[in-house]
Amino acid sequence: MRERDPIQLPVAGLLAVIAVAAWFGAGYFGQELLAEIAILAIFAMSLDLLVGVAGMVSLGHAGFLALGAYATAGATVFWGWPPAAALAFSVAVAGACALGVGLFAVRLGGVFFIMITLAIGQMFYAYFFKARAFGGDNGMSGTPRFDLSPLGLETGDPAVFSALMLVIAGAVYVALLLLVRSPFGMMLTAIHQNENRLASLGCPVRRYKLAAFGLGGAIAGLAGALMAQHTGFVSPDLAFWTLSGEALIIVILGGSGSLVGAAGGAAVFVMLRDHLSDGSFWEGLRLSGDIATHWQLVMGLFFIAVVLLARDGLYGRLSWLVDRVRSAWRGRGGGA
Amino acid sequence: MTRKTSTLAAALTVLAFSFPAYAADPIKIGVLLPSSGVFAGLGGDQTLALEMGFDDFGREVAGRPIELIPADTESKPNSGLAQFKKLVFKDEVDIVVGIISSAVAGAVRDAAHNAKVPLIISNAGNNPLTGEQCSPWILRTSFSNSQIVREMGPWMAAKGYNNVFLMAFDYAAGHQMMDAFREGFVAAGGNIAGEEFPPLGETKDFGPYLAKVKAAKPDAAFVFFAGGPAIKFVKEWAAFGLKGEVTLAGAGWLNSALYVKKQGMDAEGALGILNYVPSIDTPENAAFQENFRAAHGRDGSEFGVAAYDSARLIVEALKATGGATDDKAALVAAMREVHFEGPRGPFRIDPMTNNVVQNIYIFEVQPQGDSVAAIVQDVIPDVQDPPKGCTL
Repeated sequence: MRERDPIQLPVAGLLAVIAVAAWFGAGYFGQELLAEIAILAIFAMSLDLLVGVAGMVSLGHAGFLALGAYATAGATVFWGWPPAAALAFSVAVAGACALGVGLFAVRLGGVFFIMITLAIGQMFYAYFFKARAFGGDNGMSGTPRFDLSPLGLETGDPAVFSALMLVIAGAVYVALLLLVRSPFGMMLTAIHQNENRLASLGCPVRRYKLAAFGLGGAIAGLAGALMAQHTGFVSPDLAFWTLSGEALIIVILGGSGSLVGAAGGAAVFVMLRDHLSDGSFWEGLRLSGDIATHWQLVMGLFFIAVVLLARDGLYGRLSWLVDRVRSAWRGRGGGA
Repeated sequence: MTRKTSTLAAALTVLAFSFPAYAADPIKIGVLLPSSGVFAGLGGDQTLALEMGFDDFGREVAGRPIELIPADTESKPNSGLAQFKKLVFKDEVDIVVGIISSAVAGAVRDAAHNAKVPLIISNAGNNPLTGEQCSPWILRTSFSNSQIVREMGPWMAAKGYNNVFLMAFDYAAGHQMMDAFREGFVAAGGNIAGEEFPPLGETKDFGPYLAKVKAAKPDAAFVFFAGGPAIKFVKEWAAFGLKGEVTLAGAGWLNSALYVKKQGMDAEGALGILNYVPSIDTPENAAFQENFRAAHGRDGSEFGVAAYDSARLIVEALKATGGATDDKAALVAAMREVHFEGPRGPFRIDPMTNNVVQNIYIFEVQPQGDSVAAIVQDVIPDVQDPPKGCTL
């Protein structure tokens, strides 16, 4: 991890400006996408806390997302809770479960940690797949959105809902950034860099990792609750390991450990998927619209290119670029 | 501005507004089928048949060309929902047709209901879609799970099968199929010899379950498997020596036209119940199969027929509205009035549930040439679902 992170806040500011501009410019569908991006960004940032900051590569993170989504769906549909209370419940359930899972998982490192998180994520999937109360593999619909009618706002309107999601994503980002820069976050970073040394210095490494794992799970639960509100629908696919994999791709694409990179990665991911799978996009490039059928291939090629050419992700490259420009500037100044 | 040009401008304005807005606009139809994921094969089959349907029934109505806009659901609920929103809000399609997976249909259901855009489901069979979750905006041209198998229980009981073993994967469709069979069969005096629900996606080998069938000594087994597992099940059934000992019966996808020839003689003697088999002896079906074979070199399947009939439903409804699509309620009303003789037999939409009313065929797999084919044994005409919790 770099000593200083001079572009974190400027990039975050730039993303915020883009988001606001997009919100004003977007139509009905664009705002739906914006809400999706904001929620995915929250999920990706929660995984970045584990992967990029604390150095725990989890392939079961979607399990906590699904848990949050199902907790919200269950609490609102079966018990008639208001969505805001259900959201708090989702965060609590996902956080508590993550702590329980973490008790075992953080004892392991490297590939064993990946395997156990993968297995546990798949257990959530298998459970929801067979849970007939939640509709089994067909999923369950009917999750309502926040009721903001006392404020005169209708959350069924994508403009209102997407704005709300962007605000929440921004708040999660600020909270996570403060956390990462706090002494607690410094310890996590140090553990990531050299776990053995920290342990020999007397640091309770596992407790720190457990806390990070629980917190990451709780935020994933928050993303899940918002996702259930956004789509009005939950299904076992939310827990499937490929979604954990997608989140991991987003974190790596954006630049692991940079938080704002994960958020930007989520935006790039959703926009790419939307454009590449749309025949009219390819026709606009004067290519055959049939390429859209093979959009996943194009996306795969893009990810390969990113991993080969920008191993530290988009944020890492940007950071490198800024560094180069600065030192060139300073070099010239020094010579004069 | 001179007087002359302003008159011209006024004339043009009048012309622009008096001209029907839809005169040359294409009629946009969103095709929501998977081209990736577990159901990509079925999505491909339906895409071919849908294209063939528009070729046969018309790609233009009242001077407006029909434009198909494909969207890949990836067989995943959330992607399906995102693509549905894209079709409706970005491409502004007039009608959406497709959906293989019931989970995708469940995810799209509320969005379609709220968007007030006609959605024609061409496969997903989950019962509640035209039951307690029915919507005036959602029509189904394929089947409901219980519509397919409901009549099989009484039929088998009447044929003297008194003791039947049930088996299906442990998922929603599997349970719906078995529940519908059990209800009719037990009411007709039949006895359930046993039932097994192997886990979906984890069952590599049916051996242990077939051993239980063997031990229970039933007259017959009624099962629901489809795709790869169906081929495997039928082959293992024969390999286990159950063929000839116990009658194998199933929801007809067990011996779907897509792969019954791969099962070959192992499938011989199996009974099935389905809304379509290629051997239906009507001129409409003969024409469909002839065209399909000529274009694709194989039999058209029940999946293809549902898509083909969907294309016809769309074209005939559009003809009834004179190509007008602005009034979506009128468009749906027109669809509910459409009825025709299709490859499956008489086709119409049930005004009570928006589910299709159709013949259900009971078939036996018999040797044909050097292979096997499903031969119709009995027809149950105009099978209609009871409106379970649906008020339209």
